[in-house]
Amino acid sequence: MTDGRRLALALLSLGALLGVVACTAVFVGSAGLSARAVASALTGHAAPESVESIVTLRLRVPRVIVATLAGGALAVAGVAFQALTRNPLAEPSVLGVTSGAAFGVILAQIAGLGASVTDTLAAAGCAFAGALLAAATVYATAMSSGGLAIQTLLLAGVIVGIFFSAAITVIISIVDFNRLGGVVHWLLGNVAPVPAGSLTAFALLAGGGFLLILRSARELNVLALGEEAARQLGVDAEALKRRVFLAAALLTGTVVAFTGPIAFVGLVVPHVLRGIVGPDNRVLVPASLLAGGAFLLAADTVARNVVAPAELSVGVITAFCGAPVFIWVLRTRARVLP
Amino acid sequence: MSVLAAALLVLLAATPARALTVRDMLGRDVTLPAPPRRIVSLVPSVTESIFALGGEARLVGRTDWCDSPPAARAKPSVGGMIDPSIERIVTLEPDLVIATDEGNREETMQQLGRLGIPTYLVHAHRVAEMLDMVARLGGLVERGDAVGPLVGSIRGRIEAIRARVAALPRPSVLYVLWPEPLIVPGRASHITELIELAGGRSITAAMGESYVRLSLEAAVARAPDVIILADHSTAGTAAGRPSPEKWQRLTSVPAIKAGRLHSIDLSVLHRYGPRIPDGLEMLARMIHPEAFR
Repeated sequence: MTDGRRLALALLSLGALLGVVACTAVFVGSAGLSARAVASALTGHAAPESVESIVTLRLRVPRVIVATLAGGALAVAGVAFQALTRNPLAEPSVLGVTSGAAFGVILAQIAGLGASVTDTLAAAGCAFAGALLAAATVYATAMSSGGLAIQTLLLAGVIVGIFFSAAITVIISIVDFNRLGGVVHWLLGNVAPVPAGSLTAFALLAGGGFLLILRSARELNVLALGEEAARQLGVDAEALKRRVFLAAALLTGTVVAFTGPIAFVGLVVPHVLRGIVGPDNRVLVPASLLAGGAFLLAADTVARNVVAPAELSVGVITAFCGAPVFIWVLRTRARVLP
Repeated sequence: MSVLAAALLVLLAATPARALTVRDMLGRDVTLPAPPRRIVSLVPSVTESIFALGGEARLVGRTDWCDSPPAARAKPSVGGMIDPSIERIVTLEPDLVIATDEGNREETMQQLGRLGIPTYLVHAHRVAEMLDMVARLGGLVERGDAVGPLVGSIRGRIEAIRARVAALPRPSVLYVLWPEPLIVPGRASHITELIELAGGRSITAAMGESYVRLSLEAAVARAPDVIILADHSTAGTAAGRPSPEKWQRLTSVPAIKAGRLHSIDLSVLHRYGPRIPDGLEMLARMIHPEAFR
């Protein structure tokens, strides 16, 4: 099968999967609407102020979009970090990047940023800065003369994650007791409908990060052969790493600003996909966007419905899926790498 | 002539029957097209107060925590206070959601605001604010005539308890909202005021805001005469039940020496609603058992 056909086939089937999950997500929920009511709202036959219109078009559809964007962005960030470090376990939350971004957002929240588009962008900026700081620290710590050692990288990620979690705890212990519940809820990672203006900002930021990584996919394939080989093949490895690094931090920071820290999406999705479409980043990056979206959307739909009318935090569900996959990858794939 | 009549009709239709603007307890103006007839309460004490006022016919939704009076359980729940289902709230088609700035999340208010559902925020720290809340709720559910008797009876019972212990010496009291980390009521908490009314003196009355962290060492150094532990357990679950063993080891503390370690039902004491006199009496009996013999 040629590369083009494999890409088309992968995107087509993953697109169909995402479509099925999105349909399910729009049709189920604690409001208990009938399928006919949801369909009439979707086709514009229901009155704009009716319950089915508001629940379907203003609660479920925006939430489906947020979950899909966030899942896709996290999965692509995972692919990017894995390609950069040549390590299948690298992932925003494992590397402590998510904690760094969360610290940035908590600072922004304490400073009193609200829900307007400019405030949302400012919060995303803080998250991006936190993500960059964490990722740069991990990278600088793990980098030695011989390149990146897997164990050092993971340990550096754990340490940086602990540091930022501690910084978050300091802020939590001085925050007003009555706001504590809200902050803790945010820290568990939750998907919520976002107003149109902020949603556009989210899509643009995530889209920018995605395109940067997609455009670097071919060079990332070359980087997989080693930095020396990449240099001989005419790839400016340093510039490539900087670019992908920034893009992955942007994706992580943006998602954390809109949903809170959600772990393991960037690990589970690329890992499963590599087994299906292979390691070619030109296929893996766009495929991860769709599959990550489908995965987080499915997780959020479960989170929304298992304890209805209350809701679980989606971060809990991704962690339940992610931790076993992490252990499995650690026991099998990671061992054969130097 | 018919044009005039038509214009008049349009005008009548365009002017809502009894549009009203009310100011909530945080000073926000809330405009309603008519007195609310379908209210969702996200606050247990608001739910209790609406029932006590006889306005429950207008209550169409509550949270999982709104378990009192027992009849409240018959109303549909929209989930927890922190994570209610916005979907479920919309389904109930409320014309007003009543919430609090303490215990509910701001994001919930923002989401409801975007959907055009008005929210009325309550906020009560002092007994006077709690009575004010009851009066405001009476206005909202159009049970103004019930406000006077209800407020009068709450005030009367509080005054009776206060008078009973007012002349007695004031023991120092440590109230433990949460044991680990140790969280205690500060200056702005209604618990501090209730301890005063119950004839005690809270050893954390001068601290910070409503609820603050305290080190165990500092608590021991302040040598409280009475220690009261909040019981967070709800019917059927033991989670949150206080463990007195930890405190009983602190044998240098006067309260432990005298065997004056108590636990109190949080759901009665922490809901600034019509059951506040019940909570106050429980406190007063712990602080001044001699006055109730």
